[in-house]
Amino acid sequence: MEPGSTSPAVRVSGLTKSFSRGLRRTPVLALNAVDLEVATGEVFGLLGPNGAGKTTLLKILLGLVRPSAGQASLLGVPADSPRARARIGYLPENHRFPAFLTATQMLDIYGRLAGVDSASRRRRIPELLELVSMAKWADTRIRQFSKGMMQRVGIAQALMNDPEIVFLDEPTDGVDPVGRKDIRNIVVELRRQGKTIFLNSHLLSEIERVCTRVAIMNEGHVVRDGSVDALTQVESGYRITSTRVSDPARLGLVVPDAPNPDSSTFTYLAQNVGRDDLNGIVDQLRRDGVLIEAIEPVRQTLEDYFIEVVGREAKP
Amino acid sequence: MTGIIGVVILTFREVWAKKITLGLFIVCTLLWLLMAFALNLDIVEGSISGIRIFGQTADTPTETHVDDAGNAVQELLSLETFVTTVESVVAGLAYWVATLLGLFAVSALMPSVLERGHVDLLFSKPLHRLTVLGGHVAGVASVALVLSTYLLGMVFLVISLKTGFWNVNFLLSIPIVVTMMLVMYGTMTLVAIRTESTALSLIVSYGLIVASLVFLAHDQLIPQINPPWRSVFVALYHILPNFAEVTEPVAKLARGDDVTRWYPFYSSVGFGVVMYGLASLSLLRRDL
Repeated sequence: MEPGSTSPAVRVSGLTKSFSRGLRRTPVLALNAVDLEVATGEVFGLLGPNGAGKTTLLKILLGLVRPSAGQASLLGVPADSPRARARIGYLPENHRFPAFLTATQMLDIYGRLAGVDSASRRRRIPELLELVSMAKWADTRIRQFSKGMMQRVGIAQALMNDPEIVFLDEPTDGVDPVGRKDIRNIVVELRRQGKTIFLNSHLLSEIERVCTRVAIMNEGHVVRDGSVDALTQVESGYRITSTRVSDPARLGLVVPDAPNPDSSTFTYLAQNVGRDDLNGIVDQLRRDGVLIEAIEPVRQTLEDYFIEVVGREAKP
Repeated sequence: MTGIIGVVILTFREVWAKKITLGLFIVCTLLWLLMAFALNLDIVEGSISGIRIFGQTADTPTETHVDDAGNAVQELLSLETFVTTVESVVAGLAYWVATLLGLFAVSALMPSVLERGHVDLLFSKPLHRLTVLGGHVAGVASVALVLSTYLLGMVFLVISLKTGFWNVNFLLSIPIVVTMMLVMYGTMTLVAIRTESTALSLIVSYGLIVASLVFLAHDQLIPQINPPWRSVFVALYHILPNFAEVTEPVAKLARGDDVTRWYPFYSSVGFGVVMYGLASLSLLRRDL
């Protein structure tokens, strides 16, 4: 997309990639006619089990792998063109920056590689190190960095050319909870700046927190695609924690698990009920002398949904 | 242009970060320091009348001439002969040692470029793949140029200052050393791109150097080989790099002699060009 045009940040159409493996050159279909669009300004999460085709898709978008069929474009420019790559930033999984360089030297060299001029590099390096909370380590060699620090300078590296799309492959991999929160905040800040973020992570809770849209891949297909809210929405229901209910079926309550004999409280599910129905059930429970400890709406997590979808897809 | 300079700088720094490169630098420094401080020459009327190494007097070098009457006459070694001989020996040694150690130092570079986590970082930048390859080779060439210029340049300076005889031809060996180093690195690059194996790329390029020692005696060997294999041998002689044979032009240039046969050098350069061509094709076609 040239500035001012309305092409999506990422567009993939009929993308297919097959590899040959082993001595017998057995064909393996890594991507099978994948169609996908990511709008500008979205924080997009790509999910999928190992071998689903996520990495292959990402590599095609970055021009590292050539598709067998179909098209991929970034901001309206064919993905294999260096012109497209001038407007993206990328943090690969298991990146290996030269360990003998300091953070500043590394950013300077990778900024050069991204075509950033000298004046912009001088300005952006301290800014980005500040953004990723690494300013005081600017002159420390990378070999002395922890995994979390490596990820932070890696993100700074991906932002050197002030990209319009940022691809982050497992950005929180190996990072402690505090570091994860910091990285999440950086993603939120980038989103606020209007950048498109393409996130590839196994940490579904992270994706759930920051992504506006997700796609789930399995066996080379995109099997689900939508907003996190839409995908995790379940039919309305509530989880009630209380003392024993003598006849739960009479009130339409379901006992999800075997009750713990040592516990004084039990959990019941009120499925497919609205707020008014719930209040009716609560009134009846109080009349029956049941003591209610907690009531919470039932919501499926992205992880639950992911396992459900991938598990369903895997069944013959 | 900023991008390709970035690749050159990255490669240059990666080579210098290796201990073996530092080792080469130290060896070069020791060699010229040795010449500077341990070697003392007594020069009388343009001839070497005495040599002292670490303060010990060595045999006075002489050369034999045939006079007008046909008698062999022993004379003191002329300054010019001494300087050109020493420099041609240094050039020949530097050619072999610098190339063999240099190849060892850079052997892991291309496989490391293609390793996961590095390859994605480099090739996801807005650079054409051939620009990355070109910048990488230019980085290796710049290290080879710096090291050989340092070694041969310092030796040239020390000997010239000590003797007052400036044999500028000696410096012509620098571009040949660098070019041959790059010819052999072309093989390494191709093997590394095809296999990502450091060991294999070293084995193949060192193997070609060893094979070139056999080709050194091609004039004597060809008549001894049976006809069907003779043409194979001759073809290989012309196709493969004649690394060992190039020692002769290097030494001759250093001595200031005319080089009568450039063919081994040209055919080696041709081989290198083909290797880089194939390496470029492989890099363009492969998934990273």
